[in-house]
Amino acid sequence: MLDLHPDEELTEIGALARSIGSELLAPSARDAERDRAVPPDVWHKLFETGLTVPVPEEHGGGGVPEPLTLLTAVENLAHGDPGIALAAFWNGAAALLIAEHGTLEQQQVLSRLATDPGVRSAVALYEGYGRGPAEYATTITVDGDRVRLVGTKRAVAFAASAELYVVAGVDAASGAQRAVVVPAGTGGVTVADDAGRAGRIALDAAQAADVVFDAELPASALLGGSDAGTLTATVQRLRLLTASAAIGTAVRATEYAAQYATTRIAFGQPIAAFQGVAFPLAESLIRIEAARLELAEATLVLLEDPTGDHEALVAQAVAYALSVGTQSTRQAVQTLGGHGFIKDHPVELWYRCAAALSALDLDTSRAPFTAAL
Amino acid sequence: MTYSFTLSKPLQDYSTALREWSAAECRPYARQADIDKRRPDNWKTILDTAPVPLGRADRELPDPLPTFEEGYWVSHLAFYESINYGDIWVHPTLGNGGIGHLVVQAMGTPAQIEKWYDDAFVKQRGDTGFALTEPGFGSDTSKVATTATRDGDSWVLNGTKMYCTGGAFADYVVVFATIDKTQGAKGINAFVVPKGTPGFVVAKENEDKLGIRSWTTSELVFENCAVPLDHRLGWSAEGGDAEVGNGQGGALSALAWNRPNMSALAIGLAQASLDTVTPILKGQQAGFTPQRWASVERDLEAMNAALDRGRRLNYLAQSTVDAGNPSRSLSAAAKGYLPETVERVIRRCMELLGPEGASKELLLEKWYRDCKIMDIFEGSGQVQRIVVGRSLLGRLAG
Repeated sequence: MLDLHPDEELTEIGALARSIGSELLAPSARDAERDRAVPPDVWHKLFETGLTVPVPEEHGGGGVPEPLTLLTAVENLAHGDPGIALAAFWNGAAALLIAEHGTLEQQQVLSRLATDPGVRSAVALYEGYGRGPAEYATTITVDGDRVRLVGTKRAVAFAASAELYVVAGVDAASGAQRAVVVPAGTGGVTVADDAGRAGRIALDAAQAADVVFDAELPASALLGGSDAGTLTATVQRLRLLTASAAIGTAVRATEYAAQYATTRIAFGQPIAAFQGVAFPLAESLIRIEAARLELAEATLVLLEDPTGDHEALVAQAVAYALSVGTQSTRQAVQTLGGHGFIKDHPVELWYRCAAALSALDLDTSRAPFTAAL
Repeated sequence: MTYSFTLSKPLQDYSTALREWSAAECRPYARQADIDKRRPDNWKTILDTAPVPLGRADRELPDPLPTFEEGYWVSHLAFYESINYGDIWVHPTLGNGGIGHLVVQAMGTPAQIEKWYDDAFVKQRGDTGFALTEPGFGSDTSKVATTATRDGDSWVLNGTKMYCTGGAFADYVVVFATIDKTQGAKGINAFVVPKGTPGFVVAKENEDKLGIRSWTTSELVFENCAVPLDHRLGWSAEGGDAEVGNGQGGALSALAWNRPNMSALAIGLAQASLDTVTPILKGQQAGFTPQRWASVERDLEAMNAALDRGRRLNYLAQSTVDAGNPSRSLSAAAKGYLPETVERVIRRCMELLGPEGASKELLLEKWYRDCKIMDIFEGSGQVQRIVVGRSLLGRLAG
């Protein structure tokens, strides 16, 4: 039966994440950007909420939220600040993958990840050029009791400080999707720090850098052993979760612009009274609702059919959500006009965050360029 | 055949030389200018390497832009796009980047035009500022709150102006102020305020901005700032001359013909972005599936075609100005058309590369920040639509 209404848990966690976002994250957004790091006190408080490092209780964590709950949590934390929210979420993503798919031996590390806020872990997924998991060029090939990992991953959060990486790729022999757990310091792992030093248009609090892998590992490094099982579905979920941060950003930007439009007077009335101002904001709101539902449905499809091929479904949902992020934030800047272009207001920050997200994982082959007019 | 979409050979050659020079010699300073929030210290040396005249204001000897058979305004479109192709920092260093002189030209008496347009701008290539926007208004130019009060032989100005490009160091700023708030738009007049006039205070030399950080965007405060009577445009020392339009009208006229130039600046950034990513992508072609490569080629093709559409509208608008039959609606159409598409082009260039596209190792992320203002300043996209709409629907459009 169709049911598109959030249950009690979803509503509560959404509200909780929203209040953490506005009270804890939003006030530190500019500091995090300037320092290219989440302020330690903010990091610790966020860590204690258990929302960002989802680890089961038996491994010392606070439990793993339901997939839709996590989606809502990321959106609403990003409503506070996408830079801090994503830094925290990406740090916890390795734990999510290991908790879901790791062998008992691999899961030994979880208690440390769940209880020590000073530990960083990284997930290496993205390769650029719009490629999704089905096209990842990184190979993870089993040869007897050894595994060979070759490839370049882009924008790996905490690449230089992580104690371990979970790297996603494809078995060159069988074509199966795989992941390996790579301890930091492993030979053949090179953090290309140039991109990290130069920085990006936004989201630098996650200290992302490119990582080149050309490493040989024991077979025990394979996440979940030789049977990757439903690994791909979880990797796809991580993409959806990241995209939900774009929705949180879009919501915040649209609310901010709407508030401005109701108080800014021009031509004798609040500019909200002009359709040229109100309609684009209304369109943002409409798109946001559509994108949020699409992310939620894609998440459910991955849960119900975790072994199916959902690349197209996920790529469409992610591309749409990311484009809603960029469109809504540009419209927010546009609504504030010159005031939107200066740092006295936060909309310029959201414009940049949405662009950084959009460059991270938008499959351009499925979302052709269209001119505005 | 009445149509031709081809620029004359001399204008093509000039544009090509300018574009290649700007990319080769100016672009390498783009990142630092963005970080420093000002033009490079050695900007004069950089400009000295230009193979074609730039119309520089800082030269002892005249350095006029060449004239082409297309006419002044059409030629300037090619100039603006090509100079901005290197980076956004270059164009304001040429001096004549301000637009205050355009107001003088539109509203001044013959004596004022001689003094502040022919002499100060054309002959001495001075910098001129345009101070209209205030903290309390942008698009609604009838809301000017800066006041000008007659005091004997002077007009005394009081108020605050924002987003005045080059205002901190312009030779003079044209300040819009009301002499009588009860008259609304009709009370708004334009005053020439030279640099150094007592009471003319640079409150903030440069704003902290999303983009165009190398441009000086000043906040100016006028505190009992007195100027002679003949600094009111349309007036002589003896008082008002023949009928001149009100200040708001003058301000809008000055803006109108410059609008397509702003669209040309945006095209320069978008073309630079496309020409940056195209060779990078081609170098990576071997790693693409055939379907993905086909989609890349389709996107590049669509983006180049979109820019060409914008260029055509620009040329249409400015060729009517050159022909002496200008249309505010066409100017607004040209400016309303492309800036948002330019945002999308640059963003798509970033997306085609992926995370590398958002990195500060490339300039795409900077140009994505720079271009946003193009749909805001000199009339937002919304304002352009109102202007075009009124040509169709009359005053009902709004």
